[in-house]
Amino acid sequence: MIDFKNASVTYPGGVHALRDLTLQIPDGEMVVIVGLSGAGKSTLIRAINGLVPLTGGDVTVDGKSVAKARGGELRRIRSRIGMIFQTFNLVKRTTVLNNVLMGRLHATPTWRSLVGRYRPGDVEIAMRALERVGIVEKAYVRAANLSGGQQQRVGIARALAQEPKIILADEPVASLDPPTSHMVMRDLQRINRELGITTIVNLHFLDLAKVYGDRIIGMRDGQLVYDGSGAQADENVFRDIYGRSLTADDVLEAAATR
Amino acid sequence: MTSASLARPAERPRKPPRSLLGPAGIAAFLLITYWAVSSEFGIGLDLGAIVKDLDRGQVILADVLRPDFGFFERTIPAMLETIQMAIIATAIGCGIALPAAFLASRVTAPNAFVLRVDRGVLNVIRALPDLLYAMIFVAALSIGPLAGIMALILFNLGVIAKLLSETIDGVDTGPIEAARAAGAARVQTIRTAVYPQVLPNYVAFSLYVLELNIRASTVLGLVGAGGIGRLLNLQIGFGNYDNVGFIILELFLLVFAIELLSISLRRRLV
Amino acid sequence: MTASVIPLPRRPEAPSRTKRNLTVLATLALLVWALLSVDAELDRLVDLPARLASMFDRMFLPPDWDYFGTAAAAMVASIQMAWIGTLIGAVISLPLGFFGARNVSSGPVSNMVRLFLNAVRAFPELVLAVVVFVPIAGLGPVAGTLAIGVHSVGTLGKLTAEAVEGIDPGPVEAARATGARPLQVQRWGVIPQVLPEVVAFWLYRFEINLRAAAVLGIVGAGGIGQILSNTLEYRRFDKAGMAILIIIVATILIDYISGTVRRRIIEGSGARRIQGDVLEQPELVEVPASPLSERGRAMARVDTDVG
Ligand SMILES: Nc1ncnc2c1ncn2[C@@H]1O[C@H](COP(=O)(O)OP(=O)(O)OP(=O)(O)O)[C@@H](O)[C@H]1O
Ligand SMILES: [Mg+2]
Repeated sequence: MIDFKNASVTYPGGVHALRDLTLQIPDGEMVVIVGLSGAGKSTLIRAINGLVPLTGGDVTVDGKSVAKARGGELRRIRSRIGMIFQTFNLVKRTTVLNNVLMGRLHATPTWRSLVGRYRPGDVEIAMRALERVGIVEKAYVRAANLSGGQQQRVGIARALAQEPKIILADEPVASLDPPTSHMVMRDLQRINRELGITTIVNLHFLDLAKVYGDRIIGMRDGQLVYDGSGAQADENVFRDIYGRSLTADDVLEAAATR
Repeated sequence: MTSASLARPAERPRKPPRSLLGPAGIAAFLLITYWAVSSEFGIGLDLGAIVKDLDRGQVILADVLRPDFGFFERTIPAMLETIQMAIIATAIGCGIALPAAFLASRVTAPNAFVLRVDRGVLNVIRALPDLLYAMIFVAALSIGPLAGIMALILFNLGVIAKLLSETIDGVDTGPIEAARAAGAARVQTIRTAVYPQVLPNYVAFSLYVLELNIRASTVLGLVGAGGIGRLLNLQIGFGNYDNVGFIILELFLLVFAIELLSISLRRRLV
Repeated sequence: MTASVIPLPRRPEAPSRTKRNLTVLATLALLVWALLSVDAELDRLVDLPARLASMFDRMFLPPDWDYFGTAAAAMVASIQMAWIGTLIGAVISLPLGFFGARNVSSGPVSNMVRLFLNAVRAFPELVLAVVVFVPIAGLGPVAGTLAIGVHSVGTLGKLTAEAVEGIDPGPVEAARATGARPLQVQRWGVIPQVLPEVVAFWLYRFEINLRAAAVLGIVGAGGIGQILSNTLEYRRFDKAGMAILIIIVATILIDYISGTVRRRIIEGSGARRIQGDVLEQPELVEVPASPLSERGRAMARVDTDVG
């Protein structure tokens, strides 16, 4: 369970990216966060694993305060939370397997990671994560040699290798073409349903949000402006969230056909 | 785009001032040059006199350009020593430079204090030429290759740490964020998210430094720090300029060989 | 669902690491050979820290402040040597660089020029000073200056040629298309493109030459090196300390000024960014003279994606 209590983030420049946010996300939910660019979606997601520190309030994960955690304590919390990025954030020069093994670092002694010898058990976990996203045959290929969709699956496998309770995904499909976007989103959905991992996804495209979000959270200007099921969210709701009428840019299929 | 914009033709912009090449810049340049060339304040460069005495150098240069290949056998021990010194200094210097570079990059330094101290130390190290280190170590250790090795280590440390830390400044920070998000400790993050990105450069820089070390050996010997330079110094002293020419040619070829080696090595390692 | 019926793709075999391991092993073997066979009396390292500490003590705690004037004057001479030497190198290398560039010169000419530049670079300043310029100009800063100048012709000529080869051919074509004469094409089509970069090279070279000028005195070719070798030889460490202090301060200061000017030139001109981080800052590293001319750059260049 993720619990935001009056959480606020003010960036050094004075931008209030999160204003007094209170929100609960129970275990096993598939949540999609939507909102205009700059609404604070990334900030919200990064506050959950402490990549962005709160400037007010608190956020707890399974009762442990992320805001107060430091050092090893914070790393332990993070180890239970996988993260997937818009730009994949892979080390392109090394193999797919090594990238996925980064998800096992929290369980690996420092000296082992220094000499690059992971435990066989950790390699097994990484291999299984690759099998789950269907690209195990690429294990020894350099990450740079994969297509965008394949790279994002490596990113997902890396998160899965952590054996996390929660997966955060910050615009995971924004760099992908429409069919690939759907494939990646289905992967995430399957992971959420089969493994019961709480999954929180930032999305730009409303049609994707409606299809994959069991719950949709709308953000505007650092505040929560909508919280409801994906089925309920119709065009009017999105118009409210965006504070303007919708355009073709807000929909994946429309954007794709242009 | 209506009559309003047609009515008032845009004013022609004035020519912007030329920052560094302006009159002040040129004047400063000429002044410094005059100051440096003049015989009262500067080094007293008189091109006429030099042209007149050019023939004095001709004899020697002619000898240098006619290298004596028979000298080869006698250069072997000193050449081997040069190679040994270069290898040892490269290995140690580059070994120390790796952590030093991580501490000197904004991306990987643990905090601003460490960053500043490390950069400061590296700047001081790089401010002194390799030959000066050689002189200092000769004074501390007496003459011999050990002084040369120590001098080269410091020289290598300065060069590699600088080049590598700048490379690290430019790495893709995405993987770093990913490693942190996965709960990795700092050292693990550096090892898995940064090191693989800069490894090819590190190897390239190290091989490059190996080559610089071979080159430096000519001059290290001048101050008694071992290697082929000692022999070179002797031959200069004896006035055997054909041997001098041969040594220079030999070094040139050695550097060439190292380049070929390093190209194939880099292909394999990277 | 049919998906579960399809057998999982097999896990691939880990690729063989033998070749890589052999390379690493060979490198280590080379290092061990060097360590075992070098005649360096490594045991002397044991008391090196103590000796360095006592030297440091005698050099800097305190340095001989009375010697400041003498040492500073010698450092000024070194700076002047570096300045003029760089200037000589710049003036001579600029046309040579154009003749050495394959895209604006002809094949045979550029090959000849490059061969010449590489040969010049094979002679370090110190050797040039001893062998050529001290006999011509006598002991003193003029010999050192000329040695710096000639060596710089080699390095700067090569960098200039490569900069010219890297230009965008568009403006050259455009200049030609306006009916400009060959020299005009160079002046308006090529020079504006390469000048910022080339001037930046001159400044780097000045920084490197400053270090050379600081040691040329060892062979009597002028500057502060003379003082260093004398004081160290006669173990007047307090005087040597003063000289070293002056070298450090002056060098860092000039690096700083030169670096600032360089950055302004490169940014101010909107010059194309040189690929990678490193060539942009080939700080004080001399690109080696090489029969394989392209390689110095290839080395220094950060190839962002190998394979
Ligand atoms: N590191 C930072 N420093 C200062 N301000 C920041 C920083 N990161 C984000 N901001 C600001 O905070 C606000 C919210 O940013 P955030 O990245 O959370 O928005 P977002 O909803 O993810 O937008 P997008 O859809 O463009 O990714 C924006 O106004 C942004 O400019
Ligand atoms: Mg965002």
